[in-house]
Amino acid sequence: MQRRGKIYGAVGILLFCAVLDVAADIPPPSVSEVGKSAKEPFCPPERPAEWRDAQKIDGVEIQEERVCLPDNPYAVAAFVKGTNNVSMPTLMKTRLAADSIIKRNDRDGDGDPDEIIIKLEVAELNGASPDTTEPVHTFAIAPGIRPAFWVFAPKVRGMATKDEHSTEANPLLRVPSPVIRVEQGDTVRIVLENTHYFPHTIHLHGVDHPFVDAKGEGNDGVPQTSEGFILPGGKRVYEITPRQPGTMIYHCHVQTHTHLAMGLIGMFVVEENRPDNWVQTFNVGAGKVRHPSRAVLERYDQEYDLQYQAVDKELHEIVQSSNDPRVIARRMNREYDLTDATEDYFLLNGRSFPYTLRESLIVVEPDQNVKLRMLNAQGELLAVHTHGHKATITHYDGIEVNPAAQITRDIFDMAPAQRLDLKLTTTNDGLHNYGPGIWVFHDHVERGITTDGMNPGGNISAIVYKSYLGADDVPKLQGIDLSRYFDTAFYRRQMPVWQDIDEWDSLGDPDARQAEAAESADGETRKRSPLRHLLLGLLLGFLAYILFTNRERGRELFCQYVLGRK
Amino acid sequence: MATRCLVFLVGLLAGFHLWAAPMPMMDHGRMRMDMSGRMVMGQNTDRLPPGCRRISEEVEITVKAGHKYARPFPGTMFGYSDHEWRVEPCAKVTVTLVNEDQVRHQWMLHDLPEEVYPRGMFHLEVTGPGEVTGTFIAPAEDRTYLVHCDIPQHTEKGMKAQLVVGKGSGVLPGIPGISEPAVKYDAARPKGADLVDAAAGSETERDRNPFLSGMLVLGIVLAIVGAPYFLRWLGERFFGMTGRELNAYLFERIMALACQGIAVFRSLWQRLRPGSA
Repeated sequence: MQRRGKIYGAVGILLFCAVLDVAADIPPPSVSEVGKSAKEPFCPPERPAEWRDAQKIDGVEIQEERVCLPDNPYAVAAFVKGTNNVSMPTLMKTRLAADSIIKRNDRDGDGDPDEIIIKLEVAELNGASPDTTEPVHTFAIAPGIRPAFWVFAPKVRGMATKDEHSTEANPLLRVPSPVIRVEQGDTVRIVLENTHYFPHTIHLHGVDHPFVDAKGEGNDGVPQTSEGFILPGGKRVYEITPRQPGTMIYHCHVQTHTHLAMGLIGMFVVEENRPDNWVQTFNVGAGKVRHPSRAVLERYDQEYDLQYQAVDKELHEIVQSSNDPRVIARRMNREYDLTDATEDYFLLNGRSFPYTLRESLIVVEPDQNVKLRMLNAQGELLAVHTHGHKATITHYDGIEVNPAAQITRDIFDMAPAQRLDLKLTTTNDGLHNYGPGIWVFHDHVERGITTDGMNPGGNISAIVYKSYLGADDVPKLQGIDLSRYFDTAFYRRQMPVWQDIDEWDSLGDPDARQAEAAESADGETRKRSPLRHLLLGLLLGFLAYILFTNRERGRELFCQYVLGRK
Repeated sequence: MATRCLVFLVGLLAGFHLWAAPMPMMDHGRMRMDMSGRMVMGQNTDRLPPGCRRISEEVEITVKAGHKYARPFPGTMFGYSDHEWRVEPCAKVTVTLVNEDQVRHQWMLHDLPEEVYPRGMFHLEVTGPGEVTGTFIAPAEDRTYLVHCDIPQHTEKGMKAQLVVGKGSGVLPGIPGISEPAVKYDAARPKGADLVDAAAGSETERDRNPFLSGMLVLGIVLAIVGAPYFLRWLGERFFGMTGRELNAYLFERIMALACQGIAVFRSLWQRLRPGSA
């Protein structure tokens, strides 16, 4: 009898609990799924400001680079002298392997080395990991956007991350694949050490190279016609003595339709032969050439390499979708269909706006001649427009146009894999230039100025006159506040593009107020929730105590009313 | 110093003519490197880590590295010949890394005491075919250390092992042949983004309150313990009753309420019962 009373009591309490708890656990109104927004400064204090200055390291003249994130000048010195000739303290300030660039043997006695060995590895950025669902060896092209890439990279040493606490890739491992510079007539051995989990090769597009090397082995990089694959863990040496100068390309020729788009493409520049001509073998991240060749300096004050690239996010997601190379191979080679693909992200030198403003500005002064080498590494046509300037096309695909026939214009259309050399003159004559300022330059195929359709984004950058550079070498922008573009929420489409355009936000989000209210309510529930549980527990415990201490009386009542006994 | 310079110069000269020939390593503090890129970082043959009074044992490890060692583990691409080593605390461990590929590989150990190991690292690196040898002294604590090759995607695609010092501190995830990975990718799922979303979903699931949360249990316990005191205080302060009387009174009220509820329910049931009308 007593036991039955207890059971009824317990059941009652449990029911009561369940009812209350269900009431307490109505899920909060669902706010958008993605994480909170994160704002970044225009110029994060990542690299020493003195790296931007003109300087001389180990006897190598290095031009200034007045942008937020300049190249490491010590690495530039090592690229010019070779890792075998540069001083040990300089080499230690880079992450290059000791055998990364070997320069030796001045055969013609003109003061520069003529035998060059360049070692390349293949790095995957933003790849998958069995330890985390976040990408590893990260490289962001814009705030919060990290598609996977494969790049050729100079041979490095030690950790692949910035430091032991970071997941960010070592700065030498980045998009685009580095620009390679050699001198006309040099004997160059390009050693590809395939550190990646897929087969790759190098095809030297447009560069004078024999079909077979001295040993009769394939030298053209095409697995079906000239040579086999370079398997994971394997290597191959490509040997060339280029007789003609020009802006050319190197790229992987294995499954080219995807490997090229994944990032295995870079510029290959053969500089004209000159005495004492130590060229900057790598230009990591492209952009400003801080040690231009003799021939370039004869005619130009500065030189910039500009590589345009595009990303179909569906392709680049494949390598993040599995950690099994067999599954990745199946998805990439058989399930992915390039003929159904569209490009979503548009990069200039590996980044999209606003990150382009940190490192890919062309910083000029009046009355300068600036050499621009452009490569269209996208899958489709490109039409670059320079505001405030009309530049002259001096070379198509590395070959000089007859000077009398050279064309000056403000749109530079380029087919895929095409190169243009431009002469940008900053003389204020109403033709070549309309005066100093912050003049943007961008693709005029308009999807190119978006990041997955969000504008402004894509490959927008700017020609900035030094008089328009402010503190910390940030351009003195006169328009709207750019900080919204440094917010991850912007490219996630969580922020109205014209938010707060005037005092009463007349073009803001119509649902903004509701969303805000929902968010704050949600915040409060979350905060209150533990307290609510405590109060509920107190109430339940109190009830349980009363029921338990009066169990005798309870049984009496039960017998009396339910069973009709005294 | 002079002899070291001489050795360096001779090495450099030798390097020009005999590129692959072994050379003396240049010493930069705790980092040694030669011109072929062969490297030892955190070399330590004599400095005892904190908590070690003497060297407990001397261990020699030879580990081979390369693509072919991935063969026993389908779905990986690079591998070591062994994936676990056990040493005593304070053991002096000499590791020889034999790289059988034609690219760089590493044997990298993290989280060692920073007083003895710069950046907390012991690190071997060599481009194959070739080998490199280095020595370190294991810390005094029982702990399991990650050993890996930190070239992008080498750890991820199989070059992952563990060094168990003493009893260790558990098994690390995703060691080929030893443990399952922490993240499982669905072979049928086409996109990584979904995987991330699934993880985010489970996060919110965890955020939701379970039926008996910690705070709820705490509340119940507090109320049961505190109820007699609360009743006494309430009764004396507001009702002019003792705690016991108040307790009985409240019980009667609750029961009356319950009975009324039952009566209402019963009458409703009788009226609405099919066939009663």
